[in-house]
Amino acid sequence: MGEVELSCLAYVKMYLHACLFPRCSVNGVLLSSTPAGGAVTDVTDCVPLLHSHLPLAPITQLALTQVDVWCAQTQQRIVGYYQANASVLDISPTPCALKIADKIAEQCSNAVMLMIDGAKMTAGYRVPPIVMYERKDSRWMLKDKHMIMLHQWEETRAIANQLLDSGDHTLLVDFDSHLDDITKDWTNQKLNAKIAELASPANGNV
Amino acid sequence: MASVSELYDVTWEEMRDKLRKWREENYRNSEQIVDVGEELINEHASKLGDDIWIIYEQVMIAALDCSRDDLAWSCLQELKRQFPGSHRVKRLAGMRLEALERYEDATKLYDSILQDDPTNTAARKRRIAILKAQGKSAEAIRELNEYLEQFVGDQEAWHELSELYINEHDYGKAAFCLEELMMTNPHNHLYCEQYAEVKYTQGGMENLELSRRYFAQALKLNNRNMRALFGLCMSASHIAASPKVSAKVKKDNMKYAAWATAQINRAYQLAGRGTKESKCSVKAVEEMLESMQITMS
Repeated sequence: MGEVELSCLAYVKMYLHACLFPRCSVNGVLLSSTPAGGAVTDVTDCVPLLHSHLPLAPITQLALTQVDVWCAQTQQRIVGYYQANASVLDISPTPCALKIADKIAEQCSNAVMLMIDGAKMTAGYRVPPIVMYERKDSRWMLKDKHMIMLHQWEETRAIANQLLDSGDHTLLVDFDSHLDDITKDWTNQKLNAKIAELASPANGNV
Repeated sequence: MASVSELYDVTWEEMRDKLRKWREENYRNSEQIVDVGEELINEHASKLGDDIWIIYEQVMIAALDCSRDDLAWSCLQELKRQFPGSHRVKRLAGMRLEALERYEDATKLYDSILQDDPTNTAARKRRIAILKAQGKSAEAIRELNEYLEQFVGDQEAWHELSELYINEHDYGKAAFCLEELMMTNPHNHLYCEQYAEVKYTQGGMENLELSRRYFAQALKLNNRNMRALFGLCMSASHIAASPKVSAKVKKDNMKYAAWATAQINRAYQLAGRGTKESKCSVKAVEEMLESMQITMS
């Protein structure tokens, strides 16, 4: 299994999603705009999905179908799944996490599953608070940390903190919020633009 | 930093009224409550009269939610001074211990309340909340069931139990809790819709038909419930697509699905008119609905 690159955009939105709903379990899917078949799994974006009733089927099915359609329209692929459990003590993937990740792996052989470690999300945390799994022999195994790349980690972390401090994390729309008010955009174009603004232009790939 | 009253140009009465609204409607917007409440307490305490005690309680709980132990502590002291020996204040002290993750001390405090007054529902619920926080779901479920045997009418408890069962993937029992809630709250569209989601998740033709019926019921109660609309569309489509149903059932369900699809399209057209951002979602929905029509026929 190869390297996984996690972009600033994907990380920041995932992180803000967890921060926006601190008392709930949240989940979402990881996307890539790079064509399949490369040695590196390039996670370029993510779509935050739910913050309630994660194990229930209908809305999850609906969300995945809509994201699928949008991906086809925008030349992206679903390459992974993330989840943050409500309880900070519990970073293990739940049965519904495994189910959804399995489904994603059916379509994408390099799929990854990412659990957010709430206990590491304290002020001034130094390491990315994530635990990544990859698929080996039909099971999800912990991925070697050294195979996970976050380019410009310091800057990414600074952007996430800045958006949190300024209250801009409330701009984030997940699929659940979209269903509460369908004028809200779950592709988060506005927030994406804000993040791109904050990322230094010298970076290139954000 | 500018004060709340300066930033939003509000009077202290408006701030007090806002706090009351949030209290009565049980909002958990703790950062806002802390901002507004702290200023009210610091600047306008004398004008609040007897309201101040309930405001101290509300702000204290919000402060715990925001890790503002300093504020929580001072609110608690005021309340302890005014109401020495009160169980209600003791419970707040317990909640502070919970926030500090001193669960054993908190449990001891709640147990002492219950020794004095075995009917104290607040203390019993906090005990269950502690079990939940510690990840002891099976025990939390057991105690909550015992609680409900005594306090059968407690809606909040039934709903909490349904959530716990859903997280344990025990959909049958979750459905039972939601049935209780629907019986006592027949006009609540959210319970209908959640029940329908659980039935859909359980799967099988019977459950699928039930889910479709309850999604429809939720829509009757609130025709803007998008989850119910999508749910109706999806459940009816699945039934229509099944090879095991009669021609009549297939025809009826295709009708329901078509109706739901039209409603969804209309809702998204209306939504998409204002903002260019939602164009992505509108297009995605259109395509998705089209592909569902294909699988049905």
